[in-house]
Amino acid sequence: MKPFLAQPPSRFRTRAKAALANSQMQAATDAATFRLHQGRLDAWDALQDVEALRERAHAIRMETVDNLDAQVAQFAAAAEAAGANVHLAGTADDACTYVADVCRRRGAKLVAKAKSMLSEEIRLNDALAAIGVDAVETDLGEYVAQLAGEHPVHILAPALEKTAADIAELFARDGDPVEPELEALAGVARRRLRGVFENADVGITGANFAVAETGSICLVTNEGNAGLVTALPPVHIALVGMERLVPRLADLAVLLQLLARSATGQPLSSYTRLLTGPRREEESDGPEELHVVIVDNGRTNLGHGKYREMLACIRCGACLNVCPVYRKAGGGSYSPVYSGPMGAVLVPLLVGLDKAPSLPHASSLCGACTAACPVKIPLHELLLDLRRDLVGDGVASRKERIAFQLWSLAWSRPRLYRLSTTAARALQPLASLAGPGRRWAAGRRIPRLQKRYRDR
Amino acid sequence: MPSVQLFATCLGDLVVPEAVVDAARLLREAGFEVEFPRAQVCCGQPAFNAGHHAAARRVAGTFVRAFHRRSPLVCPSGSCATMVDRYLPDLVSADGYDIWELSAFLDHHDANLQPCNAGRQLAYHDSCHMLRELRIADAPRRLLKRSGAELVALPRPDLCCGFGGTFSVRQPELSVAMADDKLGGARAADALVTADPGCLMHLAGRVERTGGGMPVLHLATALARGIEP
Repeated sequence: MKPFLAQPPSRFRTRAKAALANSQMQAATDAATFRLHQGRLDAWDALQDVEALRERAHAIRMETVDNLDAQVAQFAAAAEAAGANVHLAGTADDACTYVADVCRRRGAKLVAKAKSMLSEEIRLNDALAAIGVDAVETDLGEYVAQLAGEHPVHILAPALEKTAADIAELFARDGDPVEPELEALAGVARRRLRGVFENADVGITGANFAVAETGSICLVTNEGNAGLVTALPPVHIALVGMERLVPRLADLAVLLQLLARSATGQPLSSYTRLLTGPRREEESDGPEELHVVIVDNGRTNLGHGKYREMLACIRCGACLNVCPVYRKAGGGSYSPVYSGPMGAVLVPLLVGLDKAPSLPHASSLCGACTAACPVKIPLHELLLDLRRDLVGDGVASRKERIAFQLWSLAWSRPRLYRLSTTAARALQPLASLAGPGRRWAAGRRIPRLQKRYRDR
Repeated sequence: MPSVQLFATCLGDLVVPEAVVDAARLLREAGFEVEFPRAQVCCGQPAFNAGHHAAARRVAGTFVRAFHRRSPLVCPSGSCATMVDRYLPDLVSADGYDIWELSAFLDHHDANLQPCNAGRQLAYHDSCHMLRELRIADAPRRLLKRSGAELVALPRPDLCCGFGGTFSVRQPELSVAMADDKLGGARAADALVTADPGCLMHLAGRVERTGGGMPVLHLATALARGIEP
């Protein structure tokens, strides 16, 4: 079966063209990414030594990535000791089946969900709908995306392209007309979601981090919805990407300094929660049952070589906000769920290069992502490596490989270089008729080959 | 007289040879003897960035055969300087080269410049490799000011102009849209100056196609002759 995240070769360009033609989307994406980008720059500037902090964060993340199995085992033992049920899911199906089983056993009809990109990745909502469970997103942006029936276009701001008018229209479908202004819209969402929090049989969250040492889940939100999702329903299921572990509780002191600053420019998000085990006897709220589902779904494919750096990602979105290609193409042009530079690297690694061959090329390799990454993932270098593998693994087209081979033969000797470029100059009027020349010429004049410098 | 080896780059040799002439002149005026190794072709970057390492290695071999290590190399392209500095030695298993991007070299040696841009308002476009890999942002601006120009700041100078090698033909629509943003930001200037032939070919090609009229020049040309061609 074709993986959900797979992306046919021509899709990126087709979607990007549509995005460029949508001026409202262009304006919304530009404004939102710029605000987040500027927020990060200001927040980083206010830190005493951001470079040292990034180095420490990178070291912490790589400690986990280099010892993934041991960290997972340590986390599982600690979480179970605290009373949680831990399930290791190899695949998306495995994870969805486990969650569905819990819901079925509890006779659940309604699930309250806090934002979890991993749940999008494994298509959990579809799996729950298939057994008659209604899973409602409680993060405002996710709620809007869910109402619109769309995938998130940004890992942090899922409905970033929507205007207040768009949202008012979506809200009015299920009730009275709403003023298209933010406070009124938030009020409507608050009232509607309140019922979901109170009546949900199960709460489902992701995990920003999971602490191997203590078996704790760390959740970061600005809306406080994760607090209600984990406190009110009798069951809490946390989905944890297996790479989201950190070795020690103290490591959060480093990573939390960078996460919100890099994501939105805040020193900390409004709510940072650390949850260890289900409700204890003396406690007044929290779930009776806590399940932690640790999901692989392709992550161990990255466990070797240079690509494992990608597992250090903390999903802050800084690389999306700084990316000149994301800014124009929008999140919908990439594979669903993960977009921008992190998505262009991660998705081919999760599903296989042959199933997302256009993504490593969905970048001008400008390197802004690498400079913005709080945990110092060399994103643009990984894109370069993926391009090398596209050729090495035979995914790149035969035509392209032959073209570069011929070019390299022609330019392997100065005399052949002269001959071939003299010929190219003679044939230049034809350059715009086909292939790359034609695609260049659609928006730009083809450069006129001049009398070579060496001949002057 | 100290000497340097001039690496024209393929785009320099073929597409903007005037800029290479200007670069050579600036180097001579700065007191250097300019050697042009005639066996040079290209550093292999076009293939390397597209993932075709075998092809890149074959072409990069010409670079290794053409240049010696007795004097520094200077090249009027931040992108090719990055390739030679960062990637080429590993690619062909060679020792590193003492390669300089032109403006960094001229600035380092306090090159004397004619005030040929007096009274001109110029915008400088940072090429991505030069800005983020070589971290050269101040040198070209200092040189332009020293030539008499007043610099007009571009909005979001960190944003790529959309060239990106094969990106420009794999994603032509995005590439052109990015160029339009860059050119739109430079509207208040008399000319847009860049130190990379790739960006120059892309941006100038866009201006010619749209009839925008904004001159786009190589830094070497702007420094050697000013913006009037």
